[in-house]
Amino acid sequence: MEINNKSGIQENEQAGNFNPSRRQFLTLAGGVAGVGLLLSAASCRKTPASATYIGEGDIALLNYLYILKQVTSKLYAQAVSTTYNGITKEEVVLQVDLRDQEVAHREFLKRLLDTKAVKEIATDLSQVTFADKKSFLNHACILEDLSVGAYAGVLRVLASDKYKLTLAKMASVDARHAGYMHDLQSHGSFGSLDGNGLDKVIAPSTGFATLEGYIETKFDARKLPTF
Amino acid sequence: MNFRNILSEIEKTDPEVYERLSTRRNALSSFGSKVAVAALPLALGAMFKKAYGKTTDAVVDALNVALEFEYLEYTYYRQGNNTTSLISSTDAAGFKVIENQEKQHVNFLNATITAMGAVPFTPKNFTDPTTVAPYVPAAYDFTAAGAYHPFADYKTFLLLAQVFEDAGIHAIAGQMPAISVNNELLIQAFQLQAAEARHCSFIRHIRRIAPINAPEEPAPWINNNIPPTVAFQPAYTGEDLVEQEGVVILSLPNNFSTDGKIPQISATAAFDEPFAKDKALAIIKPFKK
Repeated sequence: MEINNKSGIQENEQAGNFNPSRRQFLTLAGGVAGVGLLLSAASCRKTPASATYIGEGDIALLNYLYILKQVTSKLYAQAVSTTYNGITKEEVVLQVDLRDQEVAHREFLKRLLDTKAVKEIATDLSQVTFADKKSFLNHACILEDLSVGAYAGVLRVLASDKYKLTLAKMASVDARHAGYMHDLQSHGSFGSLDGNGLDKVIAPSTGFATLEGYIETKFDARKLPTF
Repeated sequence: MNFRNILSEIEKTDPEVYERLSTRRNALSSFGSKVAVAALPLALGAMFKKAYGKTTDAVVDALNVALEFEYLEYTYYRQGNNTTSLISSTDAAGFKVIENQEKQHVNFLNATITAMGAVPFTPKNFTDPTTVAPYVPAAYDFTAAGAYHPFADYKTFLLLAQVFEDAGIHAIAGQMPAISVNNELLIQAFQLQAAEARHCSFIRHIRRIAPINAPEEPAPWINNNIPPTVAFQPAYTGEDLVEQEGVVILSLPNNFSTDGKIPQISATAAFDEPFAKDKALAIIKPFKK
């Protein structure tokens, strides 16, 4: 059992996922007492060892945004290569823009995460019928609205102030995307805002659950801070 | 029940309560072990004043910058929507939604600032708040002394709307450092900025496509620092930043593009830059009386 637990942890680390607190814990724990602690801590874990650990604290939050950007960049990349019926030239141009901006966000977050970024993930966009404008826009609206609300939700539980203002720069651009997608869906609609005319705040756990409908990779997100 | 019991109850459902309240935690120690329930509201008021007192002025000042933009925008859209045969019938419903949301923003910011015990910004010639507040046409000259005729020409109406919306987004972003001392307020600033970005996207997209076909081909987002006209270049200066947090966005890989890179237009468009108060207010100055 001890071996299984250890190999589980090693697999996570080999997968490119760095968990500073657990690594420190392992370093500090040593000896028989350490093994006992390790076993009792590990016994709470239910996710299979094959699940990709997204980290904890701020790392988990940035990985959440990073995974989201993996999905949106793939969504637009696919939309560019298999355009929906009736697409205009303008719409193609703007979807290339959307793709490239989502890639910029994705790669930027990856740089911030550095070695702590989850590996390339496998997306699952099978719910989207790319040839059908209605289907594509429906999912694009869901994912763009999620992006906007995700930043605000992350902000509530992010421990460090370091990246907050840069996240704001990205959030407003994603709101431009969301506005555009809603406008294509129904001209003059903006998405659902609250009674003060404000955009949504989406709790990380809620956002991650929505996101899981678009990814094949199994993630261990139990240490994702939320509210 | 004493105050520590209340906190321990909160802690049971929210283990991170002390982290959330870290700025207030020291203030709590002044209460001692017991606080009478009757005295609690007073004590809480004092606590918040102590916690936020030093920074309240800066926060209010920041929120008032946002409020100034919201007043201008609300008045602009209301005046436009109320001008017969100005707005295309295709776009009319969208502009009604925007007008209503700008009004909600004014009311929201007014309430927030008032709740902080501070005085909300009011536009010049704001005299009769009971009639159609926050509509204050007497505060503005949207012709900028005859240079523009937004209520006689739809293209001009859209052009100025774009400038005001982009400036509003940048103005809110620029106030976030001051607002950030209060994380919940910062979140609301995010929410407000995002709502404005949705409006802006709608307007820029209308300008891009037929029948407007604006010559600079605006996207819903800002590519490089391209203004709608040369006169508005200052409203877009600095939007072409290609480096964020020390990362050169242009150098990041893009596996979907033919050259494997992020194009400059997207490296710049992917981030909305903050404008300092003076820079933001200078953009709308010609339109104020």
